[in-house]
Formats: sequence, structure tokens, C-alpha cells
Amino acid sequence: MITHELIERIEGEAVLDFKTDKSGIVRDANIRFLHFRGMEAILEGRNALDALVITPRVCGICGHSHLIATVKMIENIYQNAGVKIRISDKAKAIRQITLSCELIQNHIKWLYLIMLHESGKLLEKEPKVALKALYVSSQVNQLCALFSGQWPHSSYAIPGGVTCDPTYIEVMQALKILSEVERFIADEVLGCTPEAFNQAMSQNTLLSLKGDFGTVLRNFERLGLLEQGKSHGRFLVLGETQEIIVHLERSSASSDNVSEDISNTFAEGGNTYAKNALYNGEFFETGPLARALVQEHTGVSALHRLYGDSAVTRITARVEEMVSLCAHVRQLLTSLDLSQPSFITPPSIESISGEGLGIIEAPRGSLIHRATIEKGKIVSYSIITPTQWNLGNGTQTNLGVAQKAMIGAESIAKASLLFRTFDVCSVCTTH
Amino acid sequence: MNPPSAITSTMPSNPTKLKIIWLQGITCNGNTHSFLNDPLLGTLLDEVEFIHHPILPAQKTLKEVVKKIPKSDILIFEGAYSASFERAGVPMETLLLALASKTKHIIAMGSCASFGGIFKEGAPEHISGILFDKEQESGPLRSMREKVITLSGCPAHPKWLSFVIDMIVSGKTIAVDEYRRPKALYSYLVHNGCLRNEYFEWKVDSDHFGTKEGCLFYAQGCQGPMTHGSCNKILWNEVSSKTRAGTPCVGCTEPTFPKSNLFSTKTYMSIPSEMPLGIPKRSYLALAGAAKSFHIKRLEERLIDDNA
Repeated sequence: MITHELIERIEGEAVLDFKTDKSGIVRDANIRFLHFRGMEAILEGRNALDALVITPRVCGICGHSHLIATVKMIENIYQNAGVKIRISDKAKAIRQITLSCELIQNHIKWLYLIMLHESGKLLEKEPKVALKALYVSSQVNQLCALFSGQWPHSSYAIPGGVTCDPTYIEVMQALKILSEVERFIADEVLGCTPEAFNQAMSQNTLLSLKGDFGTVLRNFERLGLLEQGKSHGRFLVLGETQEIIVHLERSSASSDNVSEDISNTFAEGGNTYAKNALYNGEFFETGPLARALVQEHTGVSALHRLYGDSAVTRITARVEEMVSLCAHVRQLLTSLDLSQPSFITPPSIESISGEGLGIIEAPRGSLIHRATIEKGKIVSYSIITPTQWNLGNGTQTNLGVAQKAMIGAESIAKASLLFRTFDVCSVCTTH
Repeated sequence: MNPPSAITSTMPSNPTKLKIIWLQGITCNGNTHSFLNDPLLGTLLDEVEFIHHPILPAQKTLKEVVKKIPKSDILIFEGAYSASFERAGVPMETLLLALASKTKHIIAMGSCASFGGIFKEGAPEHISGILFDKEQESGPLRSMREKVITLSGCPAHPKWLSFVIDMIVSGKTIAVDEYRRPKALYSYLVHNGCLRNEYFEWKVDSDHFGTKEGCLFYAQGCQGPMTHGSCNKILWNEVSSKTRAGTPCVGCTEPTFPKSNLFSTKTYMSIPSEMPLGIPKRSYLALAGAAKSFHIKRLEERLIDDNA
């Protein structure tokens, strides 16, 4: 039987076409994204700096990641054109602080609004709207705005640094907000200290954790989904470091091996606007789980050895990233050297021609911006989003990551929940 | 402030609460996430309830909404309008019109819904706001113009939305400007309340980005003096704004958004070619000439001299 399931309460909407057998088990799943906005074409012909305003509007929940990818890409174009461009450590650190904030608020919203809510609904125990989680997300965004001016849709990172020139007033406020966020994560999300959480990962005792994360895992256990949702076991990280893992084997990666496949899109007679992103012609999972495995995070690696790339490992990796990122932001805030310049003026963009690449780690994984500019004007612009990797739609013989994770699920409802463990975003996927 | 406690989303509909449907056109979800930043969301949800919202758990899914179009008190529309754009398989020309005719108030949330915004650039001939297409009042809801409140901005501030909802809940009339934006919010310019105002008065420009000193209007492309919005009165995320973070205002609340070359000021004979709103060029030149003839030492020095 074929069922078309509209997936709502993601960023945008997606349609899943399920093929089920007589007992309702999912035998095949196709992923379709229908909303296309033509962001790349909007950018062509514009001044390259305008991209700092346009690309954040690809996505309301991860627009800051698009900003940082754009600025890194323009700086890379300068370098490729043989023009020196300097960024102070202070500006680099501030960019990392604000980008990390975006990841933290994303993961909190996903855990509460999507995972806790949808898993509860399947057990016919729909929880209340988690206002406490929205409140703490707004606090994280406030921390970001102390430097970026606003969230969402800031354009404060520009080639040469950042536009803000913070004082210790902002730094002290940021540290105070961070303490509140850390307290929320310990008291509400984990129900224990970060250290105890790490131990629980290594000792495989996560199910006994008292916080809301523990509730999500217990919901998944009751649904029999904890060890479901396995995919290819292929992982990719292209921002910061460039590495892939294929069946536990690590190797260095290069963005040269990345390609986009349009065979499933409307242009080629398919039924989606989303292009697949491939590495050496294959689908790879990107995002928090890939990052934790590449960084050899002790707890997440231990879980991965026991449960592979199943739901429990994928969910835990995203929760763990909140914890690690808070520690990272604290370290950056406390070591910020305010005496350094925020911005070092580069030569005018109108003097620059050439091409470049900006790759960063966004909430859902590796995000790639690439462009060619001529005397400062954009000739072509191309964006590959993390969800094009995770939510790609392959064929029976070459299944996409989320597709493979859904096949074999006992019901359409359970397959849809497994789909959501990837943190689905349709606006990014189609852009 | 203590975090608000949780509330039940799926409780049976409450007859005293105002009922809201939030519908999305061609969007990035930016206004949804801006709205979720409201720290007083819990208090707002004491007054209103969502029949449908794209992210917040609500009474009905979109699939249920399109099956039987519900009545509502407020319809919030986020994103740009295109007649053929579909949600849950229903084109906007059907869905938006059906929902709009069964509601009392309509809010265009953000610049895409207001004027077409950034996504209009993708297909200018097919995409518009719900009431305005750039400056032209030719959108699909023009026959219901009196019901529409425009909250332009990319995104709109959560407090701008909660202000409008509070006014509706209180049964008060909202005074609006030519684009049906609430005057209380859009009579101010982004320039008002900017921390760099004194540099503007004395025509001291900012040497480069990344400093606390100097006005961004002369070289960095700041549109604050000609953009309607209370960004420097009702601060973003309670703490800041673009200009407070040293970023030029990009004019995102105006129907002309997005203009081009957003990080540089177009000048003619080294004078900004676009004047602050309502200021005749002659008056500006007279004042600028006088101000520039003085060198105010305090404004030419660093604000805090030890760099921190």
C-alpha cells in the first residue's frame, strides 16, 4: 500500500511516500520537498557583500550559520585572488560564540518541540507546550544578540571581522546568561551534571536519567525505537576539520569529492525540489553524531559501539553537543581579548575577482557556500545544505541516509518519528 | 525573570480566548522564530490560543485546517504570496482567501507578507505581499484592506506582534500609516535611539566597521535615518539592534527592501545621495557644512581609550 504522509511541525513541510506491506511494515520511503525559492538566483548580479544580508534568509532557524558560511566564503575568494585578508583572534572567537549559540538554541527547540512532543503523542500522552524550553532558547539568542545585534537575521560578520566592538558589559552579561542556560541543561534536560551525563553514556545508563532527555529516551524505548533508525554508518564532517568515517574507518576528506545529484528533482522528471548531496557518489550522514564521532567523543563513541547509528545514538549526540558547546562558549568568553581589533579593513570588494568556498558546521551538519565573483559582483552562487546530505532521496540500490533509517519501521507513524531524529528542515533543503 | 510555566496546547478550545491561525506562504520561518523569542510568550498564550501554528503544538494540523476551514479571530500570514504556491496541497489563492474571509483581523507578519520582501526577487511578476506588492496596493487581500495590519521587518520583532494582539484583545483601534503599519511602532525611524546619534549630529563618520565611534550613514550604507521602525526603542532580543552592534540598518521594514550595495553609501559630491527622511537637501547641506566646520575633539577620539 502506498501512503502519502504530510510531515508538519518541521521547518517548512515535507511529504513522505511510504510503501507498506500487509502488516504495515515500511518497505520503501520516498522523501519529497515541494517549496523552492531560488535563493541562488536572487544572489546573482548583486554585490558580494549583499550576500551577507540575503543568505541568512535561507533559513529562520539556522540563518546565522548561512551568514558565517558566506563571510568565510568571501574571505576565501580574497585569499584565492592572492589578496591578504586578516581576521583578529577576537573576531574569530566572537563569530564562534554566536554560531555556537545558534546550534544550542536549535538543539533545545528540537528536543522539546519535536522529540519530546512527537514521541509523547505517539504514546497518547501529548505533553504541554514546553514554554520553559522556548524561554531558555530566547536567552541563548539574547546572548548571541549581545554581539550580533539580533537573532534571527543578523549581518554582523563581514569580510575582515565583525561589526561589533563589545565591552566587558556585553561579556559579563553573556557569561551570566550562559550560567542560566547551563543550569537549565543540567536541571531540566539532563537531570544531572554534565560529568554524570558523560558517565551515563559510557556506562550505558542513560535511560535512568531523570531529565526531559531521559523521558525522550524512555518514550523511544516504549515505542521500541531506541535501536531502530540505523543507516549506512557513513559520516562526514567538512567544516573545521575535513574527515569521513565509513564503517568505523576514519580518513581525511576533501570538498572536491562533493557532488550534487539532480536526477530526482522536478527538472529531471522527479517530484522534489531537493537536490541530493553526495560524497564520492554516496550518501553520508552529517551533523552532531558525525561531529562527535570525528572528535572521538568518549561517551558518544561508546554508545555508537553498542548501538551503531540508531536513534538512541543520534539523539544523544545532539543533546551532548548542547553541553559541549556551552563549555566552548564559556571558554571563548573568558579568554576574549578585547584589546584586539574587531575588524581589519580589507581591500575593496570591487577590486576582487575569483572563486571561493566557505564551509562551516551548522546545527544539522556541514554547510557549503561557493561562489564566483567578478569585480565584486556575484556571477554564480551555490549552496549545499546539511539536510541535502541527511534527507537526500536515493534509489532502492542507493538509499538516502534518512530513507534507509525509516525502512523496516513497524508503522508509518514510527518511521515518521525516526525521520524527525534527523532534525528535518525543508526550507534549507530546497532553498 | 522566572521562566514561565508550561501550558497545555491541546486543551479543548476556550471560548474566552482569541483564536489565531498562523499560515505560511513563501518563507524562511524567520518570523516564526522571531516570535518564539518573546520572553512573555506564556502571558500572551493566556490571552490567545492557536488553532494552527507551523511549529508550536496547536489544536489542528494544517491538513485538518484545509479539510474544514475554521473561523478565527486573527489570521497571521508569514511569507510572500504567490497564487499557485501550495500548502497541504491547496494553492494560496484558495487557502489564503478562504481563511481571510473567515477571520476578523489579518496580520501581515514580516516584509515578505507585507510587500513581497526578499522572496519576491525570485519571481517578481508572480510574488507579492498579501495587501501590497512593493508600494502598490494590488495584493490578493485588497478587498479586505480594513482588516489588514502590516508588520513589516525582516523579521518583525516579537513585541511588535504582541502589541498588535494586545490592542485587538483590548478592543482598541490601531492607528495605521499608508501601508497599514501601526503608527505607534513605525512613526519612529531606526535612527531614533541609535547610540551613534551624536556622531550624526556633528557629521563624524565611522572610519571603518568594528568601532564604537562614528556614524554609519556617511560611508557604511546605514539606512537608519530613512527607515521606519522602532528597532532602537524596542531593542532586539531585549538587548541590542543592528546599529548598536555596528551593523548598518538595511532598511528591512520598507517596501523597497532589499535594495542593492547594502554596505556602502551612495554619494554625490561626497554627500549621501539619499537624505534623512523629510529633510530637504538644502537644509541638510547648510547644517552639515556648519557642523563639519567645527572639530569636536571629544567626538574625534576613541570613546574608551584603553580599547575595552
